Amino acid sequence: MVLVLAPALGVPASTLVGQPAPDFALRSVQGDNVRLSEHSGDVVLINFWATWCGPCRQEMPLLDEIYGKYRRAGLVLFSVNIDEPGNFDAAREMAKTLRVSYPVLFDERKDVSRAYQASTMPLTVLIDRAGVVRYVSEGYKVGYETRYTDKLRELLNE
Amino acid sequence: MLRQSLYPVMLSLLALLAVGNAVAQNTAPSLPPEMTASAPPANAGPAASDEFKSLDEEVQGLKKEVLDLNRELFVLEEELLFPANTQVAVFVSMDVGEFFALDSVTLKFDDKEVANYLYTEREAQALLKGGVHRVFIGNLKAGEHELVALFTGQGPNTRDYRRGATIKVEKGVGAKYIELKISDKAVKSQPEFIVKEWE
Repeated sequence: MVLVLAPALGVPASTLVGQPAPDFALRSVQGDNVRLSEHSGDVVLINFWATWCGPCRQEMPLLDEIYGKYRRAGLVLFSVNIDEPGNFDAAREMAKTLRVSYPVLFDERKDVSRAYQASTMPLTVLIDRAGVVRYVSEGYKVGYETRYTDKLRELLNE
Repeated sequence: MLRQSLYPVMLSLLALLAVGNAVAQNTAPSLPPEMTASAPPANAGPAASDEFKSLDEEVQGLKKEVLDLNRELFVLEEELLFPANTQVAVFVSMDVGEFFALDSVTLKFDDKEVANYLYTEREAQALLKGGVHRVFIGNLKAGEHELVALFTGQGPNTRDYRRGATIKVEKGVGAKYIELKISDKAVKSQPEFIVKEWE
């Protein structure tokens, strides 16, 4: 199931592939701020999600497994929640219930989801060590996590 | 570009001036300087004298027009072609930081948000080590403007702290630099927000 946020945007996120990843700074669940450009040299996976998105709920624990396995190899994972600010408590609660260990960030102003053309939830973006978007996956279906792992291994080996 | 498009006009005016001067010189090539400057040639009639006078006035008028045009061009250049002159830059700096851990800065010029910056731990540390961060650069028209700076972070006893500072900025012709300095007020054990203008 793919939930469409704003089909009027019309530009698929896949057009970002090969482009420098748009930089951002967001507040995390823990309260500290995170800036993407400070992780230059790492392989970064960004996962956009929302509390109302069923597939996101399904995908997040699998991403956590991937994160647990590859973080020591240099993987950084940011989970960007795009709920309305009034719903951040619910997002916090969901991340806690799903026991995700990676940083959860809040896109309060929706600048980041706009920059990444996140019109479909979930959206997964892989960024290489040079800060270039190398892979974009819109939506989630069973088995997608294998694709992420394959791409990740490629990027970590570069 | 504007100046370039007006160059042909100026060149034509200068050419006219040159022609005017040449005509004036050619009228009495062999006469002594005192006669060429003020008196018409001895054999010239009153009509020739009038013609000479009107030509001289015309040349003076053209010279004045050229000067006026040049002045207008200069003003236009100042106002339109060099945005650096309308430039406003806002910098954030920190001193000590014992009573304040910076989280974000939001800037509003004339009630319009122009910048919102979240500081990571690393960036805040860089400010504490003497770094200065340019949080905003933009253009403002000459005149009075209101700048509102909102700082968020953690104050004394790690309590959430939100503080605003408002200043009236008088924007002149030159670039304007504004420094927002966060320092510690040891007497009150509170952070202090100082706004400083640089010309």
